[in-house]
Parts: sequence; structure tokens; C-alpha cells
Amino acid sequence: MRKFTTLLLLLLLCGAAAGHDYVPAPAQSAPILLKGGTLFTISDGVKPGFDLLMVEGRIAQIGDNLTPPENAEIIDVTGKHVYPGLIAAGTQIGLVEIGAVRATKDECEVGRVNPDVQSHMAYNPDSEIIPTVRSNGVAYAQVVPTGSMIRGRSCLLNLDAWTKEDAAEKLEVGLHISWPTVAVRTSWDEKRSPEEQKRQMAENRRKLAKAFDDARAYATAKAANPDIDIDSRWEALLPVLTADIPVFMHAGDRRQIEQAMQFCNERRLRMVLVGGEEAWKVTDLLVKNDVPVIYARSHSLPMRSDDNYDQAYKIPALLHEAGVKICFGVESTWPTRNMPFDAGHAVAFGLEKDAALRAMTLTPAEVFGVAESLGSLEVGKKASVIVSEGDIMDHLSHNVTHMFIEGRAVDLDNKHKELYRKYRSRSIE
Amino acid sequence: MPKHILLALILLAGVSNAYARTTPVEGIASKTPELKAFTNARIIVSPERTVEKGVLVIDHGKVVAVGADIAVPEGAEVVDLLGRTIYPGFVEPYSEYGLESVPEIERNKSRQPIYAADRMGGDAWNDAIHAQEDWVRHFKPNKKAAEDFLRVGFTCVQSGRLDGVLRGRAFVASLGDGLPNDLVINPQSWQFASFNKGSSPQAYPSSQMGCIALIRQTLYDVDWYLQAHAAYSENPEQAMPEFNAAIAALANVRNEGFLFEAGDDQVTLRFHRIATEFGMPTVIVGSGHEYEVIEAIKEAGRTLVLPLTFPQPPGVKTYDEELDVCLADLRRWERAPSNPAVLEQNGVSFAFTSRGLKNKEDFLKNVRKAVAFGLSKETALAAMTTIPAEICGVGNDVGSLVTGRAADFIVCDGDIFDDNTNVLSAWTHGVETNLLARDRVDFGGKYAFEFEGLAFELSVEDNYPCVDRRLSGKLRTDSLTIDLKHVKEDGARLNFTAPFDTLRDYYCVRFSGQRSGNTLSGRAALNNGNRVEWTAVWSGPLKDKKDSESSKAVDTVLISRLSYPNLAYGRESRPPLENLLIKNGTVWTSEDDGVLEETDILIKDGKFERLGKNLEAPSGYRTIDASGRHVTAGVIDEHSHVAITGNVNEGTSAVSSEVRIADIVDAEDIALYRSLAGGVTMARLLHGSANPIGGEAQIIKYRWGSAAEDLKFTPAPPSIKFALGENVKQSNWGDEFKIRYPQTRMGVETIIRDAFQRAVEYEADWAAYNALSRRDREKTVPPRKNLRLEALVEVLHSRMFITCHSYVQSEILMLMRLAEHFGFRITTFTHILEGYKVAAEMARHGATGGAFSDWWAYKFEVYDAIPQNPGIMHEQGVIVSVNSDSERLQRLLNQEAAKSVQYCGMSQEDAWKMVTINPAKQLKADQWVGSIKPGKDADFVIWNHNPLSVYAKPEQTWVEGRKYFDLDQDLALRESIREERNALIQKVLKVSDDDKWKHHKKKKPGTSHYPDKSMSSQTREGE
Repeated sequence: MRKFTTLLLLLLLCGAAAGHDYVPAPAQSAPILLKGGTLFTISDGVKPGFDLLMVEGRIAQIGDNLTPPENAEIIDVTGKHVYPGLIAAGTQIGLVEIGAVRATKDECEVGRVNPDVQSHMAYNPDSEIIPTVRSNGVAYAQVVPTGSMIRGRSCLLNLDAWTKEDAAEKLEVGLHISWPTVAVRTSWDEKRSPEEQKRQMAENRRKLAKAFDDARAYATAKAANPDIDIDSRWEALLPVLTADIPVFMHAGDRRQIEQAMQFCNERRLRMVLVGGEEAWKVTDLLVKNDVPVIYARSHSLPMRSDDNYDQAYKIPALLHEAGVKICFGVESTWPTRNMPFDAGHAVAFGLEKDAALRAMTLTPAEVFGVAESLGSLEVGKKASVIVSEGDIMDHLSHNVTHMFIEGRAVDLDNKHKELYRKYRSRSIE
Repeated sequence: MPKHILLALILLAGVSNAYARTTPVEGIASKTPELKAFTNARIIVSPERTVEKGVLVIDHGKVVAVGADIAVPEGAEVVDLLGRTIYPGFVEPYSEYGLESVPEIERNKSRQPIYAADRMGGDAWNDAIHAQEDWVRHFKPNKKAAEDFLRVGFTCVQSGRLDGVLRGRAFVASLGDGLPNDLVINPQSWQFASFNKGSSPQAYPSSQMGCIALIRQTLYDVDWYLQAHAAYSENPEQAMPEFNAAIAALANVRNEGFLFEAGDDQVTLRFHRIATEFGMPTVIVGSGHEYEVIEAIKEAGRTLVLPLTFPQPPGVKTYDEELDVCLADLRRWERAPSNPAVLEQNGVSFAFTSRGLKNKEDFLKNVRKAVAFGLSKETALAAMTTIPAEICGVGNDVGSLVTGRAADFIVCDGDIFDDNTNVLSAWTHGVETNLLARDRVDFGGKYAFEFEGLAFELSVEDNYPCVDRRLSGKLRTDSLTIDLKHVKEDGARLNFTAPFDTLRDYYCVRFSGQRSGNTLSGRAALNNGNRVEWTAVWSGPLKDKKDSESSKAVDTVLISRLSYPNLAYGRESRPPLENLLIKNGTVWTSEDDGVLEETDILIKDGKFERLGKNLEAPSGYRTIDASGRHVTAGVIDEHSHVAITGNVNEGTSAVSSEVRIADIVDAEDIALYRSLAGGVTMARLLHGSANPIGGEAQIIKYRWGSAAEDLKFTPAPPSIKFALGENVKQSNWGDEFKIRYPQTRMGVETIIRDAFQRAVEYEADWAAYNALSRRDREKTVPPRKNLRLEALVEVLHSRMFITCHSYVQSEILMLMRLAEHFGFRITTFTHILEGYKVAAEMARHGATGGAFSDWWAYKFEVYDAIPQNPGIMHEQGVIVSVNSDSERLQRLLNQEAAKSVQYCGMSQEDAWKMVTINPAKQLKADQWVGSIKPGKDADFVIWNHNPLSVYAKPEQTWVEGRKYFDLDQDLALRESIREERNALIQKVLKVSDDDKWKHHKKKKPGTSHYPDKSMSSQTREGE
């Protein structure tokens, strides 16, 4: 690969799937003991100087001075930080390789009502981006389609796999909807009058409601006669209507959030809010309706010109203080590697550190319905564990030295480290 | 400029107009006498002179006499105007009257861009230039449009087509009806101009800085053109210079100047600077919000044409709407009506225009509002009469009713500044346009009325003098009330129908009567068809009208704050200059001293004075305890596009070195404040990356609250933006962008090489020309001054320095070798991402590198970008900065620098230098800024933490000894913004009776890199 970068990239541009040579780790063959680390268990506080034993892909034991099994590999992590593998919500990882090259983009289907679209169908486990994200501690990513209204459905994948089927943690996570815009634009390039804009916005909301009404009618008809013709769109909405899977509502404006919540309440849908710039204005409603928020704007500019300069920075703290469940998310690809620092930045603006860590681990696991096996360092859970030299949320101490996904020791090398070594060797000559 | 064609006629009063015409008489010649005397009127002769109960005598379209004791000339038709007021007709200084306007074209985005204009008739190379047009030649009077003007009191307009950058020459004409030949007062008045290319389909200019460059180059072209043709006529044996009608039409432009449409205060000041640069006169069509920058407007001293487009009440009426309204909208809504008064108090001369009003009827309403907000009536009147007349060069013809001036006046039924006053008729050159019946009467009141032997009280409600009349009435006896139907006025006559069915079946009587003194009398039609006489006697008013009027009084008490910029977080005053002792901080010097624990800094007169331990504060110094804090030099961003008005690219030509960011610095960008909160004190504002050779850059200091000129950091030498790769070869612009040279990296090299070669030759041409004797120079067509090439000549001589957008190694090497060929060096490769591949070559060349910390994969040319890039370049001895290219990221440059510590173990001191002293060196500003060193500008930040930590945030940001950001002050400001906003919303709710939140367009945003095509990319903020 190193010698043929250009050639491979050209192949990639031609639409061919290109592989890289970071080999997915084999299944755990022997017990591994992480010795003497500071364990951020998430579910049970911080345990300095503890040991963690992984056996057959599961966390077998956590304790002070464990006695390892005979064949165990012992890794001394004294003084290092041990966390559950991070879970990134909201990403397009594996769907987009190069933003400006259309042939490498598979995240956005045409049309406004695409509930039958599934992100894992297009997931490329050999994306060069994945190892760069992994090496900053992100072990799992929710892969989400984009789009203008009903986008499709997301999945949750581990980031070290041969195929998407190997990667699958949960292929059916939820339905994603971009809530229709509500803000009246007055910018120079807006040709429509406020009235016209409002009419169109109301029309969009009607179209969205119509899709759900049609799906409900389909469900009713199908209950009466299971042999009716299959409409793939409404078929895909059935588990949403029964609240078996949640709806991820992508919305930022307070009015969108309120409308989306009302929409879900009326239809008894399970809602998760994504984006959520103005979620802090309706925390009471979010708590009341038990709506978690995937927040992906930690470094954003303030949404409105009168907003505080640090409005986007402090939203996680405001939500957490009000009792809203939060996850950190990244609505993109390569920037997912910065999620730990997004969380750290939220800490600088008022969020408690343990809450910040929970928002990258256990809370997303709960939201995605995988908390019984992921999200915390607990005996019996999957051995998805990362080790950092220090605080993973600060650039000055972040240095991920180990990642285990179900006990598999993941290769933390990536294209960037390779190129670094390569060109450093040139400069040394 | 004005040519008083009709001036001679004044001396010939009494001579018929017929002799002044060429158009033959068809049919019977009209000889209706034109001598008229208007008597008993209150006559406003001019803003300074009023005659109560005077006489105005006119003949042949001219004022013959005016005054209190004027005898009515024998033979004159007398018009009694008792109770009426005569004003000089108003002059509209800025209109498109009598011309077909060009509809703004819908630019079809899928169409190929047009780089060359469709030429004809020796016009300008650029389709936005129409200077050769004399709009009078296209003038066609338009009765309906004229009446809209006449209705609000205008009798005369200046008019030109409002399309393009240099719009052609306007004319001044009367709003009367007739042949254009008789209506034109000044056939050649101002050349109109703007920064709006209008209907031009040509790609260039796509930015405001491009418009400015186009104007500047055109003005130099005028000088050249005159000189070239003069030399050619001396010596026709040389090559003939081109004919150019547009430039020829501007031959006298330095004396004549432009009437320029700004519409925005910063644009006003920009054009003022251009006019000053060329020593031209100018009148500027302003924004209506000059109070926001009144000191600068006053200092500019230009006469303004003021729109009266007061904003509609912002939409805050419902629970949800408020979200779309910002404090700036609320402030402008409240304060705009006070603008004329503020200008008057500051001695700025101005005329009003009705241009921009959706409904011309709002003109007088808004003038009255301005008067209610403190504008004197005299100034208001002058702004509608004498001043616009002067602006239009027709001050001797119209604008006042002095003897010899045009008989252009209006007759009103009261003081023009009273809410209820109407314009009854407008006279243009002695000819009346009747607008409202001159004999209209108020019918309102109670009348005693006897009919068919019954005594009624007739009560009539009348909204007189409103133009849109609403009447209703009742007939009452002790026991009975009859509502009248069909109550209508018709001048002096009142018609109504009374259904007497309660008295008798099917008994409707139709009344018609006239008011005369106290009686209302006339005839009525009965059910049997008989007509009878009737009379009613006025017995008193219906109710006290004053009550309802006082409640309608305008609330002129302003509760909004006024700051600059006039938006949330704007400054109400400049922060004071302070001498300081900063005690016990951890000082990151960005010098060889590195990081000094528990160190004190003395700051005096805006400079660092001394560093040391245990320093004492001299008297007059304030002490800041920085224990547990970190103190650093202010963050410097080598590559930014904040604070730029409009498009940051003039990417419509591969080479656009003539454009300058300096021309369009936007001091009103909130990004400045937000970045101060991230510790930024200086940035280089760059042209975008849409073309190989962009435009000149501008360094600014973040002196938030200062005007654009005061943001500029001027000691450092100028620099210019170049760009390479996918953007300049238009790779991601869409399929229609495939025709401009270059489309490959090969072509990028040749076009840059060619531009420099031309610059070399250009300089040689000038040297040869300048070496000629004075006499020979007069006979020789000179080289044309070419701003595009002159900038490159500066580069060739290392007086202007390049910062070049670059990604991949091939193009980096190419540009260095090209520069070496021409004998200069590339100063900076900005956001270079493959610098790590050629770091040794860069070090050898002497180039520095700016870098994105960790961006990659957003386009093909950044697929090899790595976060270790700054580290490798640094190891190889390249001076490296981390830059933002994003108003979002600029606030977090400290974290961006920290990524090099994370990814390649760079020392913290070196990492910190990447956002302080290193960019200062790249800007060639390091002798003034970039480190904490005695003698340098006291630009510094106090952080709560190690500044490279994710947990750090600035607590204070200082520029030159003035505190521009303070966390505690920011918290207080938030509170005051909240209070002010809520108070203004309450005020809107209280006074607003208009449901419509006017759709007022905001300025073009300053961050679009892709002018012709929005680019789909995950990281659109970058390049």
C-alpha cells in the first residue's frame, strides 16, 4: 500500500473498493490482564490501580490485584487510564471517503421519504478514515444516512472488521428524520417572502405527517390482511410505529424540537434528538418525554447573533444539569477522531468530567439499546476497552496505546502514522 | 455640469413658450393665457421664508412675483387659496423615472459562466459599465408614475437607469405631462454609480472588492485614454489607441464625480475613500442608519441622499417569531426615524429620496415621523427642495418659489408636517395636476334636521381629511335610530340614503346636499319619485377629536442602546488605555525565554515594558493578580476570512491581483468579538482560493468596536494571496466550470508564469517611457496603468509577499521554482497539507508553512494530509503556524496547536509559537507582535489554564493595552442584552399595528468561497 498510494487512490476514484493493510484482529485466544490502570468504569466510578481481566471477549473480572490465569497475557498499564471503547453517535463513517469526490459518497439518497434505506448496505469497512478514528479511542460508530426529510435507518458497528457483517453490533438502530426547517430566512439570497416560506414549511410538515399516516394505514390494512402488497417504505416504518426502534429527529431550532416532540407524542414514537442547538431551551419537555440528545455541536458558532459566544460550548452542561441524557455525536466522518476533545471542551464550559465520559460510552449504549453488553467496564460485558497514557479528553495527555474490541487487540496504526514514518525517514537522511 | 438651457427664458417672462419649441403646431394653436395669481394662501417661498396670506403670480411656467403685498396683475386669472398652503414642489434626487428598468436577471446556476462581454459601439470591456449612456435619450414621460410622485409633492426628478457599477449619466426633468423636450431641465446631471453589477451577465466582478477595483482601474483608464489620444494626434504614426465610448464619456470625471448608491454605512465610507483617492466630488445615497457611524459620516463631509425606508416592526408578535429577530433588527426599527435629526445635529447636509419605499405614500408619513423624532421642519423642507435641487444642478430652476424660478409648487390643505395634511394639487411649470378636489369639505358633526314633519338629529362621522374617506351617519329621534346607508362624499357634496321602513314600509329616501357655512342642504328623492328640498343645520362636533389623536402620538423616547457595531456585543465606547502590572502569572513568552513561572509584566502606553520577578507597580498602574493564571501573547491567525464584506473571492478571472481586501474590511462582523473570546488579537484577512492569483490581503488587529480603517494593522508590508490545485482549476465547481484556463496543475504553472512575465515587461515598458524626454512623452502613447500587473511588480521586487493556498507537493515545488526563476521567494504556503513531503525544500527556499492541524479527506488533494505535518515541517526548520481559515475554528486555535503535541510530541513551547510568534513572522509583523517582549504591542491573553489544554479558556484579551474581552464583562453584557431585547420587544408589541415584518434583506455574507457554485463538502468552511 505504502508504495502504491496513488494507484490505489485512483482505483478508489474509479469506484472500486480499495482495501488497506491494517488487518482486523483475530478473536481473543488467551486471557488478557490489564494491570494497575486507573479504571473509568462509568457505571461504578473511578478505580485507581485496579486490574481488569478479559477472557473470551468478555470482561471476566475487575479488582484490586487480580490473579491472572496461567496463560494470560499481562499488560502493565500502571498510571494509565482505562475506559470502555468510545461510541460515536451520528457519523457517516464508511459511507463517505472523500467529501468532494462524488463517486466516494454513499450517505444521501435522493428523495424525501426513504425509510427503507439502510446505512449498513453501503458501509465500507476498509475506509482509510476508520483506522484514524480508531486510534483516538473510538471503537464503535453509529452510521447514519443523511437526507432532506426521512433519511433512512442507522446501524451501530464496531470499527475493526473484515466486513460489515463482522462489524455489526446492531444493524437496525433507528429511523432518522431531518425535521423540516422552521426559521424564516432574511438573508440576501432568499427570494421567497416570509409568508411563502412559512407556507412551504407547513407543507413540508404535512408531507412528513402524511408519510406516517400512510404507514399507519398500511399497518392497519396489513393487520386485517397479511397478504397485501408490500410497500417497502411503509414496511420499514412498522417497527417505528410500534416504538420497537426509536426515531432520531435531527433538529436544532427550538420550534423544530417542540414540533418533533409533539409529533412523536401524538404517534407514540420513541424519540431521540440529534443536533439540539436549542435543546437547552426546552429541557423540561425533554426530561418529561424522556428524550435523549445526541449533541454534535461542541465547537460550533452560536446559532443566533444575540447568543452568548460560548452558547454551543456549554449546551452539554446545561442539558446535563437539567437531567437530560446526552451523547456526544459527530455528524461527519474524519472529525469523529476529535470526539474526545469535543467532550473535553464541554468540560471546560461546565460539564462534569464523569458526565462527559458517560456521554461517549454508557449513554449512547443505552440509546442504541446495547447497554447490556457495551458502554461500561463491568464484569460480563463485552471486553471493549481502551487504554490511554492519560486523560483521553485533553490533547496534552491523550495517547491511546491499546484498544480491545471484544478482547481482540486492535491495530492502532493508520495511514497518517505510516506517512509520518515514511516522510520522517526521508528527512532523517 | 448643469446647463441652464431655460435660463434665458426667465428674462423673457411674458413671451410665450411656443417660441421656445421646434415641434410644429398641428391643428389650432393654443393661446390660453397662462398668467395666474394665487391669493390668500400661506406661501412657503423657501425653507427660510414664509409669507402668510400672500400672493403668488405665475406666467409661462415661471414665478413672476411672490409676496404679501403683491398686486394681482391686470388680466390675471385669480385662484383664491384661502386656508391653503403653497410649498415649492419637491425634488426627487434619485429615481429611475421615465426609463425602462432592467429586471434583475435570474442567474442560472447551471449555465456556463460568461467571461467576456458581448461588445458593441465601443463600449467598455465590462458589462457592468454603462458610462457612455446618456439616459436623457431614453426618457419617456410616464403619466401614471409621475402621479405617484406628484401625489406626495414631488414635481421634479433626477433620473437614470439604476443598473450596473458605472451606470451612465442621469438627467433632471419635470414630472409634468408633455413632450420630453419640454420637461427636461438638466439633460446631463450626475454619472450614477454603485457596487452592484446589476444585470450584467459577465462573471467579473463577483465581489464588492472586484467592483471597487473595476472603478479604480476605469478611472486610471480615463487618464490614460486622454493622454494616449492626445499623444496619438500629435504623432499618428504610432499604433492607434482604442476608441472607448464609456471611457470617453468619463473624460471630466475627476471634476464631476459620481452620485453613488451605497445603502450601507460602510459602503458609504468606502466610496468616500475612493472619491478622496481620486479627488472627486460625490453625493452618496446613504443607508438610513448613519447614526450608527455618525462621527465618520460627519468627518467625511459628503452630502447624502437619504432613503426613508424605516424598518417595519420586527416580527415578535407570536410566541415563535421572536427567534428570527435579533437585537440589531429591534434597534434599527426603533432608531431609524431619528436618523435625519442626528444628521442635522451633526451638520451633515442631506436630501430625502422616496427611492426604496414600497409605497410612495409612506414618504410624507416618514418625513413627519423624522420631524417627530427631532428633525427641524426647515431642514426637512430643505431636504425636499433646495438641497436636492442643488444636488441635481438645478438650484436656479427649482426648489424655491423665488421670482424667475419654475412655477413648480404644491397646494396643501394644511402644514405639510401635520399628519392629516394632503397634497391637493401639484403644479409643474404652471400646469396643474389635480390630485384631490380643492373644494373638499369635512361633513363630520351633528345637525338639526327636520324632514316630513319629524325632528331628527343627523350625526355624520367623517374621517376627513384622510384621502381614503370613510363616512357613516345616523338619524335619531328620542325613540328611534336609523342607520344611514350609502354615505358618500363627492367633493363638496354629501350623498346618503335613509331607510325609514320603521316609519313606513318600503320607504327609502335618497338625500344629496352641499355644505355651506353651517347648513347642509339639498334635495331628496322620495319613494314616489318626487324630489323635495331639505336643510340641516350644524349644531356641533361629534366628539372631541383631539382625544383619539393624542393617543396616536409617536413614542419618540429611545430605549435601545447605541453601540458600534450596533448589534449585540457591540461596544458603546473604546476601552480605556491602561498601564498595568500583571503579577505572578505563568508567562508564555513565545521567545527563547520560554515559559516563565510566577513572573510579572509591566505594560505602559500599549506596549510591554518589562518582565521580571517581584516588580512594583509605578503610580498610575493597575495591578492584575494573575496567580494560577497563564499569560500569553495574543493569538494570531495567518489565514482568515472574517470581517470581509461580500464574496471573499474575485474568482471570475484566473488573475485578480488588482483586488484588495483592504477595500472591504467589515468592522461589523460579530466573529471579531467571538474570536477575542478565543484569545485572538490579530489575523490576516485573505482573498479566497478560487483563482491562481487572488488579491491583496489585509492584516487586522481585533480592535472590536472600531471602524474598518482603525482595525487595519499598517506597519507590516503588504501581502497577496495565491492559490493552487483543485480550487483554482475548478475541479469541484460543477460540470459547467470547465472552460476557464487553467483546468490542470500544468496550466496553473503557465498562467502564473505568464502573469509574472507580463509584469516584468510592463515594468520595462514604463521604464522606457519614463526615460523619454518630456517632449517625446507628449507624442508617445504611454503604457496603460494596469493595477493587476502593478501588484505583481511589487511581488517581483519583494515589496509585496505571497501567501499561497497549497496542498500537494508537486504544486509547492512548482511555485518555489517559479519564484526562484523570477528572483523572489514565496513567504508562506498557507494551510499547506503536504508540506511534510517537501519540508527540506521549503526550508532551503526560505518558505514558511501554515497548516490545518488535522483536516483531511474532504477532497482528493487532501487525502494525504496528516496531523503530523506541522511537526515534520518544524523539525526541518520551517517556521510553522497553525491557521484557521474558519471563523469557527479561529476561536479554538489554542487547541489546534495542541494537536501537534498530541500527534507528534512537539514541545508545548514550540506548539504555542505556532499560533503567536510564528504567524507574526509569516505576516512580517514580528517586530511589533507575536511574543511577550518589552517594546512590543501589549496584545495578550490571560487564560485560566495551560493555554494548550482543552480545559483552557481566555478570561481577558487585551490589544495594545486596552481590554477588548473580559469574561465577567461578557456575563454582564449578556444580562443587559437580554433586558434591552425584552424591553424593545415589549415596545414593538405596544406600538406595532402593522402585522408585516418587513422582509429586509441582510448583507451578503462574507464567507462564501465559491461564488458561482456552492460546494458540497463536509468541511465547507475550509478550502
